Amino acid sequence: MIGRGSNRYSTAAIAIQVAIALAIAGCSAAGHPMTTLAPKSNLAQWIQTLFIEVTVWDAIILAIVVFAFILAVFVFSSRVGEAAPASTASSDLGLEIAWTLGPTLVLVMISVPTIRTIFRSQPVVAPAGALEIKVVAHQWWWEFDYPDGAKTSNEPHIPVDRPIRLSLESADIIHSFWVPQLGGKRDVVPGQINELTFMATVPGMYPGQCAEFCGLSHANMRFRVFVDSPDDFAKWDRAQLAGPAAIPAGDLLASNGAKVFANSPCTTCHMIQGISKGYIGPDLTHFASRTTLAAGVLKNTPENVAKWIGNPQETKPGANMPALLLPGPKMNALVAYLEGLK
Amino acid sequence: MAAQPKPLPAHQPSYLEGGGILGWLTTIDHKRVAVMYLVSALFFLALGGFEAMAIRVQLWRPDNHALSAAVYNAFFTMHGTTMIFLVVMPLLLGFFGNFLIPLQIGARDVAFPRLNALSFWLALVAGILLHLGWIRGGLPDAGWFGYANLTERYFTPGLAIDWWAIGLLVSGTSTVLTGLNFLTTIVAMRAPGMTYMRMPMFMWSLMVTSILILIAFPALTIGLIFLLFDRFFGTHFYVASAGATPILWQHLFWLFGHPEVYIMALPAFGIISEVIPTFSRKPLFGYPMMAYSICLIAFLSYGVWGHHMFATGMGPVADSAFAITSMLIAIPTGVKIFSWIATIWGGSLRMTTAFYFALGMILEFTLGGLSGIMHASAPIDLQQTDSYFVVAHFHYVLFGGVMFTIMAAFYYWWPKISGRMLGERLGKWHFWLTVIGFNLTFFPMHFLGMWGMPRRTYTYGADMGWTNLNQLETIGAFILAVAFLLFYVNIFKSLSSREERAPADPWDGRSLEWSTASPPPAYNFATIPQIRGRDAWWILKYGRAGSRGVAAYMSGQAPSQPQPDQPVSVEDIHMPAPSIFPLVLSLGVGVIGLGLIIDWYRIILIGAAVTVLSIVGMGFEYADFGEQSHDPEHAPSSGGVDVRKIGLWSFIGSECVFFASLISTFIVYKSRSLAGPGPKILNIPLTSFSTFVLLMSSLLMVLALAATQRGDKRWERIWLAGVVTFGLIFLGGQVYEFTSFYNEGMGLTTNLFSQSFFVLVGFHGAHVAIGVLWLSVLWVAAMTGKLGKSRALSVELAGLYWHFVDVVWIIIFTLVYLMQAVPGA
Amino acid sequence: MSDIADAHDGQTHHPGAATYLIIAAFLVILTAMEVTVFYVHALHPVLVPLLIVLAAAKFALVVMFYMHLKYDQWLLTGVFIFPLIIATLLLVSLILLFAYLSNHMAPIG
Repeated sequence: MIGRGSNRYSTAAIAIQVAIALAIAGCSAAGHPMTTLAPKSNLAQWIQTLFIEVTVWDAIILAIVVFAFILAVFVFSSRVGEAAPASTASSDLGLEIAWTLGPTLVLVMISVPTIRTIFRSQPVVAPAGALEIKVVAHQWWWEFDYPDGAKTSNEPHIPVDRPIRLSLESADIIHSFWVPQLGGKRDVVPGQINELTFMATVPGMYPGQCAEFCGLSHANMRFRVFVDSPDDFAKWDRAQLAGPAAIPAGDLLASNGAKVFANSPCTTCHMIQGISKGYIGPDLTHFASRTTLAAGVLKNTPENVAKWIGNPQETKPGANMPALLLPGPKMNALVAYLEGLK
Repeated sequence: MAAQPKPLPAHQPSYLEGGGILGWLTTIDHKRVAVMYLVSALFFLALGGFEAMAIRVQLWRPDNHALSAAVYNAFFTMHGTTMIFLVVMPLLLGFFGNFLIPLQIGARDVAFPRLNALSFWLALVAGILLHLGWIRGGLPDAGWFGYANLTERYFTPGLAIDWWAIGLLVSGTSTVLTGLNFLTTIVAMRAPGMTYMRMPMFMWSLMVTSILILIAFPALTIGLIFLLFDRFFGTHFYVASAGATPILWQHLFWLFGHPEVYIMALPAFGIISEVIPTFSRKPLFGYPMMAYSICLIAFLSYGVWGHHMFATGMGPVADSAFAITSMLIAIPTGVKIFSWIATIWGGSLRMTTAFYFALGMILEFTLGGLSGIMHASAPIDLQQTDSYFVVAHFHYVLFGGVMFTIMAAFYYWWPKISGRMLGERLGKWHFWLTVIGFNLTFFPMHFLGMWGMPRRTYTYGADMGWTNLNQLETIGAFILAVAFLLFYVNIFKSLSSREERAPADPWDGRSLEWSTASPPPAYNFATIPQIRGRDAWWILKYGRAGSRGVAAYMSGQAPSQPQPDQPVSVEDIHMPAPSIFPLVLSLGVGVIGLGLIIDWYRIILIGAAVTVLSIVGMGFEYADFGEQSHDPEHAPSSGGVDVRKIGLWSFIGSECVFFASLISTFIVYKSRSLAGPGPKILNIPLTSFSTFVLLMSSLLMVLALAATQRGDKRWERIWLAGVVTFGLIFLGGQVYEFTSFYNEGMGLTTNLFSQSFFVLVGFHGAHVAIGVLWLSVLWVAAMTGKLGKSRALSVELAGLYWHFVDVVWIIIFTLVYLMQAVPGA
Repeated sequence: MSDIADAHDGQTHHPGAATYLIIAAFLVILTAMEVTVFYVHALHPVLVPLLIVLAAAKFALVVMFYMHLKYDQWLLTGVFIFPLIIATLLLVSLILLFAYLSNHMAPIG
C-alpha cells in the first residue's frame, strides 16, 4: 500500500525539525555577527518574541498539513489497479468550515501582538532622554551627526540603556539602515525623514549593512555600531568633539603626510577640522579612531589605507573617490598622518 | 488503463501539420500560438537559469571575483525579470492557458484569435528589447522592481534602464491583451451547458487571473510612463529635490506587483486542481469553496501591496492595515491546500511524474505560504525583508509553488500538446533531482536571512559566517541545473522518438481536452459537446459523478462511447484566416522602442508608420472594422452579447485603473511644487465650456447609434459628423489651454503640478484624439454607405469608448479643475 | 449562475431619443451646479463632498443611460464595476497614504 515515495517525504518533516533545532542554535551570535536571532535591544527583542510566536503557529500548521498529507497519500488512499475504488466524496461542510475557521483563529492570535508591536515600536515622539542622532546615507557610506556636534562615518557609538532616536535621511537614493542585532531595518528615503527608535541593552560591536539595493557597490555599504557603557560613550564623544590629534613632535613622516594631505585633492571632499573643509566624503578628523575604512569593507590598517587611496575602485566599484597615485614615500607619509588621527 | 474512446475514428490532420514557416508566422490558431510561446519561454528559461547559476558561482565564497559587481547586478535583475515576464507568465498563460482554454471550455479558438497572435509577437518583441542591452548599453541592473530614484538618469545613466522600461511596457501591453482575450473567451465561449460552476478549476483560475491582469498592469504602465518621462523629457516624478517622492514608484509598482504574484500563483492553483483529481480518480474536493477562494484571493491581492513597503515608513496605522489584509489571504490559500489533500484522501492514486510534481508542490508551497505569514507581521518583516529570508520565501512560492506546477502541467498535458508521452523513468529522476536541488538551494536561505545576509549583494565578508550555507546552496543549484537538463532531454527524446504515440486520453482524464485527438485537429472538436455537469468528459465516459463509471471501470467494462450530438462534416467548420498583421504590428512597436532608446527619430517614424499601417490593415482585414471570431454571434455562453462588446468593456475596466493612477498622482503632487504656477492657473470658464461640448458630443453619439440601429442613414451621418466636430472643438480648446499655460511660463517640466497636470490631461486628450480618429473612420464608412443597421455594433463599440472618455473627463473636470481651491492631500 | 437561460434575442433594448435628451438636460444642469458651487464662497466648506456627489451623479447617468449598462446584461456591468471599485479604493488609499507621508517629508524647498 505504501508507495516508494513515502520515506522521502517524511524525511521532509525530519528536515524541518532539524531546521528548527538549527534555528535555536543560530540564536547565538557567535560566528554570525549579523544574526537577527540574538537581540541586543528592546526593539530587536520585541521582534524576536513575535517571531517565535509566529514560528510556533507556523510549525503547528505545518505539522497538521504534513500529517494530513501523509495520511492522505500513504494511508487513506489506494493505488490504481488495486481493488479499492476511489471514494466519490466531493465536499464536507463541517470540514470546510473547520479549515476556514481554524486558520482565522490563528491569524487573530498572530495579528493582536503584531499590531501591538507595530505601535510600540514606532513612537510618535522620541522617548524622554533619548539621544537623537541624524543619519545620512550616501552612495556608499553612512554619516552620523550627533546633537552635540560630534560627527563620524560608518562607526557610530551609542550609549547602552539609553533610548536612541535615529532620524534617517538620504543624500542621494533609497538606502536601508539595518543592524540586525539592534532591530529591524528602516528605509532611508530621499526627501523623507524616517525614524528608528530603540534602546541597546548589551554593550558590544554590532555590524550593519545597507539593505536596499542602491547601485553598483550596494554590497560594500557596511557599517558598525558600537554600544558603549555610559562612561565609554562620554569619553568617545569628548574625543570626537576635540580637534584632530596633534602630530607627535619629531614624527617627521606624519608631519610630511600632513603636508601631502593639505596639498592633495583629498581636501576637496574630506574634512579634517582646521585643515580642510570638504564635506562630500567622510570626515577624517578622527579617522584613526575607526576600526574599518571604506564603509566597513576593509580593516583600518596602514596597508589597507594605502591600498584604498591608491585604487578605491578595486575595493568599492563605482565609488566617487578618485584614485590618488602617489609615489611610495609620499603615500607612506600620508598613511602615517592619517593613522595618527586618533 | 481504460480503453480509450475516440470520438472521430478517421485520421484528422493535427494542428501541427501543414502551412510551412509562413503558416507559423501568420498563424492565429491558439494552439500554434501556444507552441510559439513555449519555444520562446524554454529559451528564456535556459537564459534565466544560466544567470542564476552565475549568481550562485559568484556567491561560492566570500570576497569572490568570479563576476564583477556590475555583471552580478545585471544578472540578478535579469534573472528576476526574465523568469517572471518571459518564462513563468508566458508558460502559464501563453502556453498552457492558450492551449487549454478553448479545449477545456469546448470552443474552437479564443474570442480574438488575431489579438492572441499579436499578444505573442509583442511578448517576443518585449523579450528581445529587454535583452538588447547585451548588444548596446548594458543589461538592466536596478533589480526586477527597479526602485526609483536609482533608475533616474542621474544615478543610472546609459541605456540599460531604458531597455528595461520600454521592454516591460511592451510586455505589459501584450499581457493586458491576453487578459482581455482570455476573460472574454471564458465568459462568452463556453460550450452549451457549461455553467460557471461546471468549468474546470483551471478555467476559474484563468478567468480570475485575467481580471487581475486587466486591473493590475495599468498601475505598472503608469509607473513606467512616469519613469520614461523622467528619463527622456526631464520631468521629476520620482525626484525628491523637486518635492516629489520615489515612494510613488513603489506604490504604483507594488499595486501591480502584488497582484502579479497571484497572476502567477492562481493559474498554478488551477492546474494543481486539475492534476490531482485526475490522478486520484476523484472529483475535486470542495469545488465551490475552491472557486470562491480564488475570487477572494484575487480581491484581497489588491489590498496588500503595502506589505512590500513596511520598511519605508508608512506609519503604524497603514502598517497594521496591510498586515491584517496580508494575513487574511492565508485563509483562502489554506482552504486550497486542505481541499487538495482532501481530494487525494480516499482516492485511487496513480503515481505518475505529473502527480509527483503536484504532491511536491503542495508541500513546498505550504512552506512558502508559512514564511509568508511571517512577512505579513510587519515587525518581523522589518528583520526579514530584503534579506535572504525573503529570497527563500518567494522561491518557495514561485519555484516550489509555481515551477513545480508548471512541471506537473508539462508531464500532464504534453501528450495532448505534442502527441507524444514524456518519459516516466526520466521524469522520476527529474522530479527527485528537482526536489533535492531545490530544497538544498533555497532552504538554507532562510538561515542566511536570519543570520543577516542582505539580498542583492555581489560579495560578502568572510567574518559573517555565511560561507558554508552559500556553498551548500551552490551545490544545490548545480543539482537543480542537472534536473532541468533532464527535463530538456526528456522533451527532446519525446519529440525525436518515432514510435510512442500518445492516445487521446492517456490519463483517463476528466475534462474536455481529453475527448479530442492528441494532438488535436486545428478546429479542436468536430462537434461542440453538450455539457451535463462538472468533469464533463468523465461524465460522457462513465455517467454522472463517476460512481457508475468506477463500478464499470472496476469490472473491466469499457466506458460507454460518447455520442456526438449533431455530427457535422469537418469541411463545414470555418476557422478564421491567418493574418500577417500581428507580426508586422509587433515589429513596428519594437522598432519604435528601438528608435526611442538609441535616440534616432527616423527609426521611430518608420516604426510608427509600420504600426499605424498594420492597425489600419487589421481594421480592414474583415468587413466590419473589427476583430472577428469564427462565429461571434454564436458564442454559446455569451448570453447574446457580442464578444467584442465584452472585450471592450473589459478594456474600459482596465482603463479605470489607468486613469485612477494618473489622477491619484496629480492629487498627491499638485500642491508640492517648489516654484512656478499652481492650480490657480486653471481656466474654469474655458473648461466648463469644454465639459459642455464633450457632454453634448455624448448626446450626439447616442443619437447616432439610435439612427444606425433603426437604419436611418441620413441622421447617422449627421450625428456622427457632429460627434467628430465636437470632439475636435474639445481638442482645440485643449490646445489653446496648453498653449496659454506655456506662454504663462508653465511647461511640462516647470514643477510637480505642471508635469502631473500635463501628463494626466494630456493622456486624456490622447484618448479623445483616438476616439475622434475612430469616429472619423466610421463617418467615412457612413458617407460611403458601408455602415448601416447590420453594422450597428461597430458604432456601439466606438460609442462606448467615446462615452468612457467623457466620464473620465467628468471626473477630471471635478477633481482637477473645480477642486483647485482645495489644498492638496 | 445560469447565464444562458436569461439570454434573450441578443438585441438589447435601448431607450429612445427622448430619454437621451432628458439625460443631457440633467448633465448640463449638474455641470452648471458644479460651476456655481465653485464660485459661491459660502459653499466652500462643503465644496469637496458637494462636488463629488455631483460628479458621481453625472458619471452614473452617462454610464447607465448612454453606455446602456442599465439595459445591458449584468455581465457587462460586472466587468466594469469591479475595476471601478478597485480604482476608487486605489485613489482613496493613495491619497490617505501620502497624506501621512507628507508629514514626514523633508520640508519643501
